[in-house]
Amino acid sequence: MDNVIAVRQLRVLSRDKTLVGPVSFSLERGSTTGLCGPSGAGKSTVLRALVDLLPTGLTRDGDLQVLERPIAPGKGDADLRAKIVLVPQTPVVFGGSILDNALFGLRHILRAPREVLKERAEQALREAGLWKEVSDRLDSPAQNLSAGQRQRLCLARALALEPECLLLDEPTSALDEQSRDTVEQSIAALRGSRTVLLVSHDPAQVERLCDTTVHLDQPATVSPAAAAVS
Amino acid sequence: MTTTLARDAAPPDAAIRPRPSKWVWSWTGAGVFAVAALLLVVVGYLVAGISSGSVDWTALLTDASWSPPNAAYGGLAMIYGTAVVCALALILAVPVSWGAALALSEYLPPRVARLLRMCVELLAAVPSIVYGLIGIMVIRPVVAWIGDVPGGDSLLAAGIVLAVMITPTIVAVSVDALTAVPDRYREAAFSLGLTRREVIRSAVLPLARPGMRSAVLLGLARALGEAIAVFLVVGRADGRLPTSFDGFLHSLVHPGQTLTTKLAGPEPVLAGTSGPYFAALCGLGLVLLAFVAAATIWGTRGQKRGTSDKRAPAFRGAPRMRVERDRLAMGLRLGALLLPTALLLGMLALLVTRGSSAFNPSFWFTSATGAAGGGVRDQIVGTLLLIVTTGLIALPLGFGAGILIGVHASERVARLLQTLTIVLGGAPTILLGLAGFVILSSTMGWGRSWLAGAIVLVPVVIPVIALATSARVRSMPPELTESALSLGLTRAQFIRSVVVPYAWPATLTGLLLGLARAAGETAPLLFTATVFFGAPAFPSGVVESPVQALPTHIFTLSQDSGDPQAVTQAWGSAMVLVLITAVLLSAAVALRNRFEGERWTT
Repeated sequence: MDNVIAVRQLRVLSRDKTLVGPVSFSLERGSTTGLCGPSGAGKSTVLRALVDLLPTGLTRDGDLQVLERPIAPGKGDADLRAKIVLVPQTPVVFGGSILDNALFGLRHILRAPREVLKERAEQALREAGLWKEVSDRLDSPAQNLSAGQRQRLCLARALALEPECLLLDEPTSALDEQSRDTVEQSIAALRGSRTVLLVSHDPAQVERLCDTTVHLDQPATVSPAAAAVS
Repeated sequence: MTTTLARDAAPPDAAIRPRPSKWVWSWTGAGVFAVAALLLVVVGYLVAGISSGSVDWTALLTDASWSPPNAAYGGLAMIYGTAVVCALALILAVPVSWGAALALSEYLPPRVARLLRMCVELLAAVPSIVYGLIGIMVIRPVVAWIGDVPGGDSLLAAGIVLAVMITPTIVAVSVDALTAVPDRYREAAFSLGLTRREVIRSAVLPLARPGMRSAVLLGLARALGEAIAVFLVVGRADGRLPTSFDGFLHSLVHPGQTLTTKLAGPEPVLAGTSGPYFAALCGLGLVLLAFVAAATIWGTRGQKRGTSDKRAPAFRGAPRMRVERDRLAMGLRLGALLLPTALLLGMLALLVTRGSSAFNPSFWFTSATGAAGGGVRDQIVGTLLLIVTTGLIALPLGFGAGILIGVHASERVARLLQTLTIVLGGAPTILLGLAGFVILSSTMGWGRSWLAGAIVLVPVVIPVIALATSARVRSMPPELTESALSLGLTRAQFIRSVVVPYAWPATLTGLLLGLARAAGETAPLLFTATVFFGAPAFPSGVVESPVQALPTHIFTLSQDSGDPQAVTQAWGSAMVLVLITAVLLSAAVALRNRFEGERWTT
């Protein structure tokens, strides 16, 4: 079994202070892994550290290997982010139609005729479980979609890139119960075919959707001895 | 069973509105007066001027020859001059400003960007007379060298001066539009594997574009209405209109005339206060006001539409060489930032080296002797007298207008009043000066009077106070309004105990920003209030009591650029004026930073 992502002793630092971690885990191809921990432990920050999208002032420390290749801190680029795709917590819908949104990333990355792009969009929308609801209005504004549909649209536009791994940041936290179920169904359908790292504060959800679980605890306060070493 | 006193309960579904009380209405009246009446005075003055002698509009708009002795009043050459000068300014300023704004908001680390943004805001507040001085000393020689024009007075020089002047404004407002785009849009786009250039193009610009467009229109309005900086470098030659493309190129590097420079020249004083000559000048003023108002209204329109720009992105495959394009874009944008930075450093260097006399305390505390000697004590006193008086008049009126827009007016009326206020704020100050000259100096017989000058400056300050106040009131949390009103406060009590404590820092900030602008205004004072020499530091009456002021001092000295002594004095006075504006501005910025990060300077 090969690992898509392998992380050893990953920490997120502000100056010299450890904010998150250390945490170690690896994602097997095709598996769904849950990342849980108390709120404030830095689950979302870990996801951002994996794709080098940390807020200014924060830095990553520790080993990160993507597809067996080490990625040095600050060296993550557009290519990396097209392979390891982060889906943020609140769905962001851009101006333009549903189709425009489904192709938002792919349009820049794949040089292909219109028909091929459209086909990829359809495929992705099917995989995200949104195709049935929107197939008749692909050209209407995406702003009119409901919250659950928006979240699945964000999932679809990530899937359209055919990524090696999806990083889902609390995909259901902003949704009501009913849309939560539909989004969960979409995520469950990816099991086995996609590699997924799912951040959730809800142990029951992790139980339902994930093969393995990684726990992230609050970083221990820096001991005087450790401070003296650094 | 005893009956309880029946009290009229408000219907449960009634919208929560404060109960009205009488004195507030008089205040509201003051607000209406302040905004609408001032605008009416300017427009009314122009219309009255036009009707005092018949204006031949066809000739005014289509004929190029201007010769009052022969009763030829054609304004086309001036309209041409204005158009050319503003077009040059925009062509030079817009690419640089947009590039610099992108560099500031998207590429530089936040701490550096914040510092540079403050510098840009400072540059945007530098008085136009200082830009004019730089035009004379730096830009004119360069144009003389390029275009082989003796002296360098030309439309090209005026265009460059205006470009330099409006760049900070366009950068500042564009950066605001860009930073208003929430970071989650950038993150969502980055996490789909886009390069920075693609993120900016597809996720940031669609939302920021309306704001960046109105930044340009705001810059255009400033360029259209600027009189003094252009006056000093344009050459003021009447009746030049090219007929061929070669003629057009030729006209660029030769003296010309614009609408504002015609009105700032001696002619309005010579023309009297009625008759065809005066009417033609008022006609020119109305044309100018129409241009400026159109640019301003168009600009605020774009801002209102805000995020509704839903143009679908073009359906195209990925371009080749994404990484290279990304690097090129970054290089160009950071390069664009170098220009304003170089401008800032160059201006500082010029002011400090040429204006070194300002660092000598005796320059601040002695009177001027003769035409070009001594210090500028009287000019400083005069400037302070003018702006303090202006502030005292403008504060209650501007605050009233701000409260009116923020609290009382319905959505539609508020929008109308806001647009009116912005138009008033963008009105060319030379027109305010002319209206003041005709109404206060001539008709009311005040002659040159410090009070007339202070009154003429009031419309410059009111919009800044009103817009700052109303923006602050509108940002008040609804819970605050709701809980205050549910305690049964009347409208007056509500304003006194909730709105005023919440809004006063914004009002004060607006006042300081407005006064910083007013302190550098030259055009409205020339005919109404100031003399170059021979007035007492403190006037003792109202009628025929002029003062000396720094902007007028610099204006007069800088026209005598052959005399090195006068040049030294001009730079020294400019340094003093910049220092006064900087003090007012930093006080405003400090005050603003204490309660929030918003900015109202334009």
